Amino acid sequence: MIPILLAASLLAGDVDAQGLHRAVKAQKGRAVVVNFWATWCEPCVKEFPDFVALAKDRKDIAVISVTIDEASDRGAVEDFLKKQKPTFPVYLKASGSDEAFINGVDPKWSGAVPLTMVYGADGKRLLFEEREISRKEIEAALGKK
Amino acid sequence: MRQYLAVVGLALMASTAAAGVAIGDKLEPFALKDATSGKDVDLKSAAGQKATVLMFIATQCPVSNDYNERMASLAKDYSGKGVAFVGINSNKQEAADEVAAHAKEHGFSFPVLKDPDNVKADQFGARVTPEVYVYDTDWKLRYHGRIDDKRAVSEVSSKDLSAALDAVLTGKEVAVAETKAFGCTIKRVTK
Repeated sequence: MIPILLAASLLAGDVDAQGLHRAVKAQKGRAVVVNFWATWCEPCVKEFPDFVALAKDRKDIAVISVTIDEASDRGAVEDFLKKQKPTFPVYLKASGSDEAFINGVDPKWSGAVPLTMVYGADGKRLLFEEREISRKEIEAALGKK
Repeated sequence: MRQYLAVVGLALMASTAAAGVAIGDKLEPFALKDATSGKDVDLKSAAGQKATVLMFIATQCPVSNDYNERMASLAKDYSGKGVAFVGINSNKQEAADEVAAHAKEHGFSFPVLKDPDNVKADQFGARVTPEVYVYDTDWKLRYHGRIDDKRAVSEVSSKDLSAALDAVLTGKEVAVAETKAFGCTIKRVTK
């Protein structure tokens, strides 16, 4: 049973910008936190446990995680996830143009990671932060439970 | 009405300033301290005869570090063509001595200037490392964005900085004047 649970916490697959937007919309009625990260990004690695804890404690919030690591770094990503044990889906950025992915997510995005976007249950975006962010800030943006 | 327009105008100016510099904008050359010598370097004297490349770079960012060799080699290749390269480090946690050691270790022939309190990064609207800005002899911004499109040299398919410099050097418009790539955030001070 445990190996099955661990396997379920690993990469959910590849995602392009359109697929990501669909995944966010599919959570209609729930607040959504989308975090972009990479194994080589120190602040991303540092803040990741906050997202793991948030997803465990707040079932009213959907967390979607996207790593921009290259497909060739899949092993490092999976090793990282084995340790972190996220309960939310973690996608690998689909292969193809990085710039098209960045602009497809949001033309406002410079391409810097970490990037965290927070949407309210009504689908309205409340936060767009290209920096390390804390759980406290996310919960403050979403208001009281 | 006049008052309303003035407020709208101010709001627009503020939003433009927050967005940083845009293609075609003129730069007022500035001076910052060279991380190695500790002396002020004025862009007016550091400028190339035909173009100047300002590069926001880092010592600890793995993406920026993947470009160290490419930056050193581009600076060398274009130095005979009248192009000067200048590095700028705006990261709060990377002190001048670390920046100087990094430049020496990687054989940078160009100066790397320390940008205290990320004042210049804020002025340019630079958000990621590496991120480059190409200026012509009139200090007009001709190109802004990435060096090329992939961290791994073997996967590069678009050498954007070289293409921009070649266009500027031959008096042509830069075909793709703005590009993006993944990188590290510039670690700013809280203001």
